[in-house]
Amino acid sequence: MALVNAREAAFEGTATVELGRARALWATIRRKPLGAVSAALIAVLVLTAIFADVLAPYDPLAAQPEIRLAAPSWEHPFGTDDIGRDVLSRVVHGTRISLWVGLLAVGIGTVAGMIIGLLCGYCEGRTDLVLQRLMDGIQAIPGLVLALAIVSVLRPNTTNAMLAIALVIIPGNSRIVRGAVLSAKQNRYVEAAQAIGCRHPRIILSHILPNVTAPILVIASIWLGNAILIEATLSFLGLGTQPPTPSWGLMLSSTGRAFMEQAPWLALFPGLAISLAVLGFNLFGDTLRDAWDPKLRRS
Amino acid sequence: MYKYVARRLFLAIPVLLLSSLIVFGLMRVMPGDALTALMGESGNIGERELAKIRHDLRLDLPYYQQYLLWLWQLVSFHPGDSIFTGEPIAVSLGKAIPVTLELAALAMVLGLVIAVPIGVVSATRQDTPSDYVGRVVAVSGLSLPDFWLGTLVITFAAIWFHWIPAIGYVSFWESPLRNLEQFLLPAAVLGFRLSAATMRMTRSTVLEVLREDYVRTAWAKGLEGRIVVYKHALKNALIPVVTIVGGQLGVLLAGTFVVETIFALPGMGRLTVEAIMFRDYPVVQTNVMLVAGTLVTLNLFVDMTYAWLDPRIRYQ
Repeated sequence: MALVNAREAAFEGTATVELGRARALWATIRRKPLGAVSAALIAVLVLTAIFADVLAPYDPLAAQPEIRLAAPSWEHPFGTDDIGRDVLSRVVHGTRISLWVGLLAVGIGTVAGMIIGLLCGYCEGRTDLVLQRLMDGIQAIPGLVLALAIVSVLRPNTTNAMLAIALVIIPGNSRIVRGAVLSAKQNRYVEAAQAIGCRHPRIILSHILPNVTAPILVIASIWLGNAILIEATLSFLGLGTQPPTPSWGLMLSSTGRAFMEQAPWLALFPGLAISLAVLGFNLFGDTLRDAWDPKLRRS
Repeated sequence: MYKYVARRLFLAIPVLLLSSLIVFGLMRVMPGDALTALMGESGNIGERELAKIRHDLRLDLPYYQQYLLWLWQLVSFHPGDSIFTGEPIAVSLGKAIPVTLELAALAMVLGLVIAVPIGVVSATRQDTPSDYVGRVVAVSGLSLPDFWLGTLVITFAAIWFHWIPAIGYVSFWESPLRNLEQFLLPAAVLGFRLSAATMRMTRSTVLEVLREDYVRTAWAKGLEGRIVVYKHALKNALIPVVTIVGGQLGVLLAGTFVVETIFALPGMGRLTVEAIMFRDYPVVQTNVMLVAGTLVTLNLFVDMTYAWLDPRIRYQ
């Protein structure tokens, strides 16, 4: 009976922690205007991505050569590109690509980094030594450079860009999780769990993991912005999303640069979209950090 | 200190070896290689000719032998030839490295010149309009993609000033003015991102230092604000900034890849991007290892500088 009650209490405890975190986040958002702005910006981006088919006034792939390089107007608020495609529609659909790549890349990178970090922090010893040296080897190569090399190997497309970004994220994430696990392992409740004979997977999943989720989520939200930026950079260099799929970076590269004197709006709007997305996620990451992890706080 | 440096250098060797394995392995997993790309350019090449080219370039050796050969070439500063152009990689790098070094150095200087004063003003006038402007500038620097900033700079310079990037690199020794004209805008674009992270750190550390007791004593003695901030607070506040600058070196080096491509500068970054397009893996793997080795060395140098600036730090 005592064990069943303890299990129920543990679940209730987890729910209480989650409710507490949600309240802390809401309180921080209300207290800091930039937090509210970033949350609103992210909400707009997510809704744009979900309802892109409804929000985009035209088909992003439909070419109308008769109105190529048209300046912004009521019919085409962001103008048209070199083959007459509506830029607003392409920017709207580009939101979907960017968010999709960002979320998947960060999701995969975070989970993989978390697993490696948990193993390193909990097992320590040789496992930690080998895995962390491997992470060091990957991190010695700048992220963008590594992503470029990986995409060139796997062939340029959206999926491979996402995998490359995920691989870039893994070492940093694993380090943060490892640090958090090493810290959580010192707690008495872990010692108590070991003393009563809990198996290692149960200790990791039930006792350690819930206490390291806060820094993971903070770093993941900051990485979302970076992931969008890296995907845009890869697409800009022709190594990410391929035409005719609308990607912000590709729009800048393929038409923004080529027609920059005749049609500067082609360079303006996709770049603005990238900047707002990255800004939103960076600021939101700061807000999460302020709300959930005082130790990671900076001014 | 010497023991610390020796230990760090010793630990750097397995890290660099692992990086080299990762890079080498990646290039070998590539579908097709530079010879396949070369075939596409030159039309049909016979099987015998292709086999001869592979043998000459030692691409027919087992992978472990190719790896050991490549390692030896790196260590002896003879990294072989480009598969695509046939030019010795050392010659290509000899032309490209000075361009990237100049760009990175200028970007670093410009970044610090922007970041430190804005960070100090932001901290000394906390929660005022100056502070908010400084923080917005910093966050913008982190969010604005450098390729977008570069494209906008070129676009509006072309429209307003009828300026376009110079075709053909002019070295500093040939014509300092033309060289600076060529490098100023790309360095400013690259430096802006560096300045963002540095400015945030400067603001944070100056705020912390201004709350220290010795600063309060300085105020209590009636010293001028300028003397308190610049003579007493700033030099201690800048010590952690050295660490953040070190951490941004990787971002700076990666940024040269994009900026050199946009501004048509014949640096190492552009060389690597082109090599990736043509699957010229001797060039790619050599350049990537050079970047990794440079980063490891620079990070060690930054750590040593940190210990030199702050005598309280003792390395075991």
